[in-house]
Amino acid sequence: MAECKDSGRSPSSSMDSSTHPVLSTTSSGCRPAARRDDLSTDLQLGLSLSPASSLLVAESKSIPCTPRNRVLPDWPPIKPFLRSALTASARRQRTLFVKVYMEGVPIGRKLDLLLLDGYDSLLAKLRHMFKAFITYADVMEYHQRVPHEKAAHVLTYEDQDGDWMMVGDVPWELFLGSVKKLRIARTDKC
Amino acid sequence: MTYFPEEVVEHIFSFLPSHSDRNTVSLVCKVWYEVERLSRRAVFVGNCYAVRPERVVLRFPNVKALTVKGKPHFADFNLVPPDWGGYAGPWIEAAARSCVGLEELRMKRMVVSDENLELLARSFPRFKVLVLISCEGFSTDGLAAIASHCKLLRELDLQENDVEDRGPRWLSFFPDSCTSLVSLNFACIKGEVNSGALERLVARSPNLRSLRLNRSVSVDTLSKILVRTPNLEDLGTGNLTDEFQAESYARLTSALEKCKMLRSLSGFWDASPICVPYIYPLCHQLTGLNLSYTPTLDYSDLTKMVSRCVKLQRLWVLDCISDKGLQVVASSCKDLQELRVFPSDFYVAGASAVTEEGLVAISSGCPKLSSLLYFCHQMTNEALITVAKNCPNFIRFRLCILEPKKPDAMTGQPLDEGFGAIVRECKGLRRLSMSGLLTDKVFMYIGKYAKYLEMLSIAFAGDSDKGMMDVMNGCKNLRKLEIRDSPFGDVALLGNVAKYETMRSLWMSSCNVTLKGCQVLASKMPMLNVEIMNELDGSSEMEENHADLSKVDKLYVSEMEENHTDLSKVDKLYVYRTTAGARDDAPNFVKIL
Repeated sequence: MAECKDSGRSPSSSMDSSTHPVLSTTSSGCRPAARRDDLSTDLQLGLSLSPASSLLVAESKSIPCTPRNRVLPDWPPIKPFLRSALTASARRQRTLFVKVYMEGVPIGRKLDLLLLDGYDSLLAKLRHMFKAFITYADVMEYHQRVPHEKAAHVLTYEDQDGDWMMVGDVPWELFLGSVKKLRIARTDKC
Repeated sequence: MTYFPEEVVEHIFSFLPSHSDRNTVSLVCKVWYEVERLSRRAVFVGNCYAVRPERVVLRFPNVKALTVKGKPHFADFNLVPPDWGGYAGPWIEAAARSCVGLEELRMKRMVVSDENLELLARSFPRFKVLVLISCEGFSTDGLAAIASHCKLLRELDLQENDVEDRGPRWLSFFPDSCTSLVSLNFACIKGEVNSGALERLVARSPNLRSLRLNRSVSVDTLSKILVRTPNLEDLGTGNLTDEFQAESYARLTSALEKCKMLRSLSGFWDASPICVPYIYPLCHQLTGLNLSYTPTLDYSDLTKMVSRCVKLQRLWVLDCISDKGLQVVASSCKDLQELRVFPSDFYVAGASAVTEEGLVAISSGCPKLSSLLYFCHQMTNEALITVAKNCPNFIRFRLCILEPKKPDAMTGQPLDEGFGAIVRECKGLRRLSMSGLLTDKVFMYIGKYAKYLEMLSIAFAGDSDKGMMDVMNGCKNLRKLEIRDSPFGDVALLGNVAKYETMRSLWMSSCNVTLKGCQVLASKMPMLNVEIMNELDGSSEMEENHADLSKVDKLYVSEMEENHTDLSKVDKLYVYRTTAGARDDAPNFVKIL
């Protein structure tokens, strides 16, 4: 097994190494055979998924209207083959496991959010895991108009500030950057 | 004119090294034109729409090697919409009708279908070499056709193509009688290959010099293959993860050690740091190393490898190597001629561990450096000026600061002086690509000093039309100009229209050119195709492909009229000289004026 390297080692550049996304993934890359269950939900993600990165927010001039954690298809100018090879590598190494509890059920589950591509697949996955009909922000409004289809459960999450919020209000990428835990709550208590 | 028998003239022509020389002699007189065209063996078509395929094959019926390039360069960065064009079919069909002696076909940025490959495989009995670079539209079924029917195949080189995977069987289609392979590169194939078929193929290819495997090939298979290829010069490994035992790696090392001719190494898919020491025995003999697909190696792993590569001439690496790692490269690789540092993080304004410091270190340690592609976090004028003094031999200089319009990191100034120094000192510069905060001043320098510049790429730069005009007027050898997101408009576009006939092409996207400006260009220069593409194509119902000349004249005359449609900006403009007229395969979103 590879010796896991200390991610505190710093390249000699003006960048703080702990915000360097590749270095943080490299340290998990040292143990590729480690099973997913071993990884903590507090896994520190690279800069790219955390909107508030101290150093770069200070330095950057804004690229108009583009959130910091977006990827543009045409910048930087690299060939598609390299782009997809690096994205595939990154996806293989990056995980975002969060605990999921359903109200009334003591044993929780864990879910890698980076394997999903949006809210719909998150809901589908959870419905499958918990065998329950769960709703979230957008869908709830629909159900309020059509009362007889009201779901018994609604999906909420704990964000980086420790607040419990309803899932679905912010873009998926922003959600990934701030979610810490998921909770499936009963709608009659919301 | 002195009379020589045609065979003598032909023999003299065979000493002419370049296409342009042969093109020139063909213009001297009819006799020479005929001799030249019948004896021409290699034809290079830089823009597939510049000339009709039928015309090429009829003029050069005895051509053996054909090279055709399709989409504009910015297609590599997703700036050209899909289905724009660049179809290989007409070229292969024309050659199949008129040049059955064709032996080599090289295509770049073209759309190639399985049917095209099937036709290719069946039409040319002496076919030997197929090189496809950045192409798309075909699957492994097309490769199977090539494998089965090209009995004399020597080279199958697939570089960075988008190939649909239809299973591993294609490799098994090489018949047992196929023993002629010299070069096989399938690194871009996404799926599995049958390792038994691969091993058998290598075993019966004694002339194999270059082999690039894909991600699916295991360390064990690689070891078995290498035992059979002691004369291998260029190797692209399969995956080198650490799911394998140390014994597998030990077998790999001993197999690699037997490859005394091995000079170039690439692949390293998902390479784990523990595999790196197993490569050490090879490092001292390497002249080329490509680690650009390996974000799993950090600067410590990379520098341990690179510091041993004392003969290295070409290094492609990710920015994980960091400035510190580049300093190690500078002190170890004194023969370095080409360096490419790619970004590993490409989120908007992503971080990079590579800055101007790494580049300065390289320039002072590696004076032979002539070709650079450098993605970095920041740059300074002082660094660029130092680099220019240290390395006056640059032929290709491409610098990409990840954040557009970023100024000098020390002074906050534009980077005009830095790039100005590059073009002033590097008198042989042929290709330049710039980034960071740049004003019209840098274009003034380019127009003034970059006399041999052939290709210029501009992004998010300049203040006014004057910038582009300085380049158009000053760079006598300019062939390709590609511009995005820069404030150049109709005045620049129309400032030197005759220039476009001396160039291969002009690309402008997200600039300030208007439909009217493009129409004026089209009407003044019938030898050009002026293609426009708009994102929100509200006006597409109005016109067919060609604006007829009378309509254009009316608009040109009535400049005073407020005509909002014509003053609307054009999203993407592609202008190129052509003898073929407007192309008939353009999709709906492309309007040819």
